[in-house]
Amino acid sequence: MTDTKNHNAGEASSLEGQVFTPGSAAEIVEAIELAFDYRGDVTLKLRCGESVAGYIFNRQSADTDPYLELFPRDREDPRRILYRDIVAIAFTGEDTANGKSWEAWVSKKESERRAEAEKIETIARTKGYL
Amino acid sequence: MAVPISQMYTVATYVLSQKFKGVKRYPLVLMLEPLFRCNLACAGCGKIQYPDHILDKRLTPEQCWAAAEECGAPMVSIPGGEPLIHPEIATIVQGLVDRKKYIYLCTNAILLERKLDEYKPSKYLTFSVHMDGLKDEHDLAVCRDGVYDVAVKAIKAAVKRGHRVTTNTTLFDDANPERVRKFFDEMMALGVEGMTISPGYSYQKAPDQQHFLKRTRTQELFSKILAQPKSGWQFNQSPLFLDFLMGQRQYQCTPWGNPTYNVFGWQKPCYLLQEGYVKTFRELMESTEWDHYGTGRNEKCADCMVHCGYEASAVEDTFSTVSGFARTAKLTLLPTSR
Repeated sequence: MTDTKNHNAGEASSLEGQVFTPGSAAEIVEAIELAFDYRGDVTLKLRCGESVAGYIFNRQSADTDPYLELFPRDREDPRRILYRDIVAIAFTGEDTANGKSWEAWVSKKESERRAEAEKIETIARTKGYL
Repeated sequence: MAVPISQMYTVATYVLSQKFKGVKRYPLVLMLEPLFRCNLACAGCGKIQYPDHILDKRLTPEQCWAAAEECGAPMVSIPGGEPLIHPEIATIVQGLVDRKKYIYLCTNAILLERKLDEYKPSKYLTFSVHMDGLKDEHDLAVCRDGVYDVAVKAIKAAVKRGHRVTTNTTLFDDANPERVRKFFDEMMALGVEGMTISPGYSYQKAPDQQHFLKRTRTQELFSKILAQPKSGWQFNQSPLFLDFLMGQRQYQCTPWGNPTYNVFGWQKPCYLLQEGYVKTFRELMESTEWDHYGTGRNEKCADCMVHCGYEASAVEDTFSTVSGFARTAKLTLLPTSR
């Protein structure tokens, strides 16, 4: 499984909404690689019953006790989670790049492009970034 | 001359000192990303494809200064995101100036004119304004009308106040060489110190994967653009890197040349590829399998000719070979001799 699998960014390639329940250590590694490449939050279901939602920014699958690191949505500091503690991975957050390709932008009608640009501008203005 | 002599001297003595010390791999430019949040949403940019809670994270000034000291590179490029959104960016910049780092503060310039009062002109500080072409091309590239005009106004204001200003331009596969040459004329007429150019960045997470330049197309395009350069054009980058873009020199990538630090840590292996993060610069240098990256070594690197991988290779060539040094000297003194 390589990064390139997930980089077409076409709507059809998005994992948004999918849930993986790995049955083996190899499947966990594979699912976590997908989650590492994903451009949105995921929700991890842990063996202890806890669910953790956040953005996976790092993983060490070659470590003697493999782990991933994520920024939980509701916490400032990153959290480290062992692969062996993970039961399921759900791609719950919005895929932030999906459907936003250059081709999609260019192919839109002028009115659609203008509306989208205005929406982004309004958000930036509301947050004080303009 | 686009780059001031003091900066050239600093970089030259740094590179030579690394060579005398026998350091095989050394950083040249720290890529410091203090945030990913931007006030634009360009289709070609892969740096903003994160959930909101990640876009809201910021490096502190102390983290930025510590990264610069730990890395030791003489130059610091501050991309993003849009750095001028960071509420403490002026403090960060001043701290880096105090450390005598040559800073390229990259900005789309939407906020630049409004924030100019926060910065004192310094030989260490350059505003590197993102300009992807003439008005039509630029506004299309950044997905918002009117940004070109705002940026031009901000460039004029910054130049008038005595700041060092350069432009940074990413060229995509639909670039028209004649329009790009005209764009160079317009930028130099604004009074910028120099321009930097690079082919499109093939970010893994960029949504626009089909639009980036392939290697042969890159060489053809840059050959057309840079052949018979005009005397008024100044480029704020290694002339050998421009040779490389034109296909006149062959280089292997130097991924450690522009190490990247951001809210996730030190990024492995380079500014473009995100294969993981480590907590220290030393760990980055010692634990990255450098030989796995570069043209012919990794499929992800096959078509990359981006400055963050190859400009350090060009600088290395300047200081390692007689032909490289002679060519650099010739093109620096006589840029139209290309």
